Amino acid sequence: MQELWEGLVQAVKLVVSLDPEVIEISVRSLYVSAAAILIAAAICIPVGGLINFHDFRGKRVLINVIQTFYSLPTVVVGLFVFLFISRAGPLGGMNLLFTPGAIIVGQVILIMPILTGMTISALSGVDRSIRDTALGAGASQSQAIWTIIREARFAVVGAVILGFGRAISEVGAAMMLGGNIRGYTRVLTTAISLYTQEGELVLSLALGIILIGIATVISVVVNILLQRY
Amino acid sequence: MAFLKLVNLEQRAGDKFLLRNINLEIEKGELFVIIGPTGSGKTTLLRLIDLLDHPYSGDIYIDGLNITSVKGDRIDLRRKMAIVFQKPVVFNGTVFENIAYPLKMRGIRSREIAPRVKSLLDTIGLSGYGKRKARTLSGGEAQRVALARAVIADPELLLLDEPTANLDPHSVKLIEELVIKFNKSRGVTVVMATHDMHQGQRLAGRAGVLMQGELVQVGSPASIFQSPDSARVAGFVGMQNVYRGRIVANESGLARVQIDGSVIDVVSELEVGKAVDVFVRPEDIVLSLSGSISSARNNLKGVITAIHITGPLSMVIVDCGIVLEVLVTIKSVEEMGLRMGLNIFCSFKAAAVKVLPVK
Amino acid sequence: MKNFKQFAFLAVTILMLMSVFAGCTPAGQATDNKSAQAQSYATRFKIATTTSLNDTGLWDYLKPVFEKKFSTALDVVAAGTGAALDYGKRGDVDAVTVHDPAAEAQFISDGYGINKRSFAFNYFIVVGPAADPAGIKGLSPEDAFKKIYAGGMADATKVKFVSRGDNSGTYAKEKLIWQAAGFTYTTVEKSGKWYVEAGKGMGPSLVMASEQGAYILTDVSTFLAYGSKLNLVPVVESGQIFLNVYDAIAINPAKVATAKMLPMANNFINWLISDDVQNLIATYGVDKYGKPLFNPMKGGGCKDPGCPKVEDYTVPVK
Repeated sequence: MQELWEGLVQAVKLVVSLDPEVIEISVRSLYVSAAAILIAAAICIPVGGLINFHDFRGKRVLINVIQTFYSLPTVVVGLFVFLFISRAGPLGGMNLLFTPGAIIVGQVILIMPILTGMTISALSGVDRSIRDTALGAGASQSQAIWTIIREARFAVVGAVILGFGRAISEVGAAMMLGGNIRGYTRVLTTAISLYTQEGELVLSLALGIILIGIATVISVVVNILLQRY
Repeated sequence: MAFLKLVNLEQRAGDKFLLRNINLEIEKGELFVIIGPTGSGKTTLLRLIDLLDHPYSGDIYIDGLNITSVKGDRIDLRRKMAIVFQKPVVFNGTVFENIAYPLKMRGIRSREIAPRVKSLLDTIGLSGYGKRKARTLSGGEAQRVALARAVIADPELLLLDEPTANLDPHSVKLIEELVIKFNKSRGVTVVMATHDMHQGQRLAGRAGVLMQGELVQVGSPASIFQSPDSARVAGFVGMQNVYRGRIVANESGLARVQIDGSVIDVVSELEVGKAVDVFVRPEDIVLSLSGSISSARNNLKGVITAIHITGPLSMVIVDCGIVLEVLVTIKSVEEMGLRMGLNIFCSFKAAAVKVLPVK
Repeated sequence: MKNFKQFAFLAVTILMLMSVFAGCTPAGQATDNKSAQAQSYATRFKIATTTSLNDTGLWDYLKPVFEKKFSTALDVVAAGTGAALDYGKRGDVDAVTVHDPAAEAQFISDGYGINKRSFAFNYFIVVGPAADPAGIKGLSPEDAFKKIYAGGMADATKVKFVSRGDNSGTYAKEKLIWQAAGFTYTTVEKSGKWYVEAGKGMGPSLVMASEQGAYILTDVSTFLAYGSKLNLVPVVESGQIFLNVYDAIAINPAKVATAKMLPMANNFINWLISDDVQNLIATYGVDKYGKPLFNPMKGGGCKDPGCPKVEDYTVPVK
């Protein structure tokens, strides 16, 4: 108990004093996962919109498949992406392995199903009359899809936050694809994992506090924005 | 050439017919009302015309172009039309954004949009509402916004699907006035669906009666109201007294029809033995206590079984062997001392009876 | 929908700002965080290293020197020797620094590695709880292992042994010692609860052994670097079998087509055996632990049988 308490106190000190390593790792985590969620959102929200908009054979099955991929294990994603981007793999020429880009790729793939699926369920909550009204008002199909997305913006933003949370808190893909290189690919989760194993508990705790803090701040900020707009 | 032409239009849901054998021509600038009870296929028909759904078979022509055969998004065609649904639909945004929506979708610059929206806001009586959240409007206000949104991009064809069905009488009046105004001032062709016969009468140049997916009668509202050409249309347009019978005699146009145990005189060329539907408008029947001689061919004796008071008028139900519904003023009820159980005579002219052969 | 545009704009701006902030800060930050400079170099050179070199902080210490000299970012991926060699085979790194002579020989004879040079050495030791429940203090490595086995089999709650179990150089050495002590390793591995396979790097395995009150084979450097965090003391410290030599090997582009940085790998190896770096290695850790964590090869300090030949640490590669 004592250890935990003292560790917490020192961890808070590290955070408050803006320890350069702590800050650097935190900022990198934010950057990597923000990039991942932006890329994933740019892909998944329109795709979710398309799937929601069109009625086609196998739509139900497709959505079920997407939903089963919600809980894609991060290490399996890590493994597959590793095989693809390792220099011996099909995308080896991109020199991605052990770079922040590799983590981003892994996280994008990891969160794509959940973001697509949540987008679809967010949009299916929008009344069909919105779609018809948009089309009836002369919107093109893509404009109508975008209108539906805007109607469901709160739920869609919720999906994005969820995806961001999954990205920034996953450790498997970041470890396997980034390689946990200090000063280059070490992010909050891999750092916490490493430092805990090394017995650097105070540093781990500090990073853990930041990880929770980031998650909290982001949902609070987004909630405020959502209430205002 | 008709502006809008429907040819053998048919729509199905699985094995069930939603619409069948729809043939209709509507001229440019017309205000055409489709009248029919709930579930008769009005919405289905408007959605087909607006290209929101694909017909099972048949063709729709606009300005001579067969729009059902055009492939793809058909956005250019859709942009010639606009639709307002029964349930007021507004996007989650301000009133201004809602009305401006069709213009934005057409890539028109904000600078041009603002004055057009503002002028329409004035027209629909919502000046100064631009910044209001559309979702906070009342149903009637939201429907006016939806109407403004429908007309702002100057569509050639305005489709209205029971736009006043759920609204208070004041809002109904406002919407009706706006529809007439847009039809007149902008020359937009209007096709409006309603289940309210009286609304059809108020608005329509021409009307079509849609029943169970079939367009059963087309003409002026007055002609439909006055002389429905089938029993079900008659029932729908407010013909309470509809009976099925058989012609038992015919002397050069003055025929007798037997209905159960009763016999009434009618004017008809149909030959003896023919099964017919006959109907009499409740307001065409005269009640009298004595059954004194009049020029009316039909004088049936009966007993009052019920009196329903609706506003200044009362519907008196009289059992004369056949049950007749008779419309009289409250004043008459009071002055004649009408009450349940009273014996009374019902008189109506043979010419007031509409006779249709059973198909 | 203007409001939503504003909202979306704001949200995207925040994310962008975060990204820009994240992208710039490491490069722009003061040099007190030496590793943070990494992103400012245009070219990147990747090596895979055995965990002991990383867990001791040696690479954090040497990395900025290399980066400055060659204007190239040095990315150090820490893995066990086995994994490090595998990254090399796949061409995901261009050089490896490892310490498993047998595996290295195989790696080179298979054609994956070339230009091997030794750049540091130290010794393995067996560390364990101060109470020494197996009573192995001062024994030879082989005899110590025999007694640990006997003790563990007798009472797994008293005598435990943590093995790396991760295909690392240390693990290879451990297996070698079991063999030398007369055991078949596979029987040791499955003999009971006293034998714990950690599956982690050197440092984490030490932490685990400390938590469990177990014996563990470790390189002396990592143990020194972690000493203050551990409830472990050295119990067996000498024996020829304990010699631990660190080698750098370049990946052979002729065999691994995706390895494209042989010249830089050669620079790297020559830099490691250069006088400057050898001197750095000779002094690394003195200020903190009172003695160096690694011995440089320079000067011929390695005299045990099994030490590399002089030309293996003096002649630059081409």
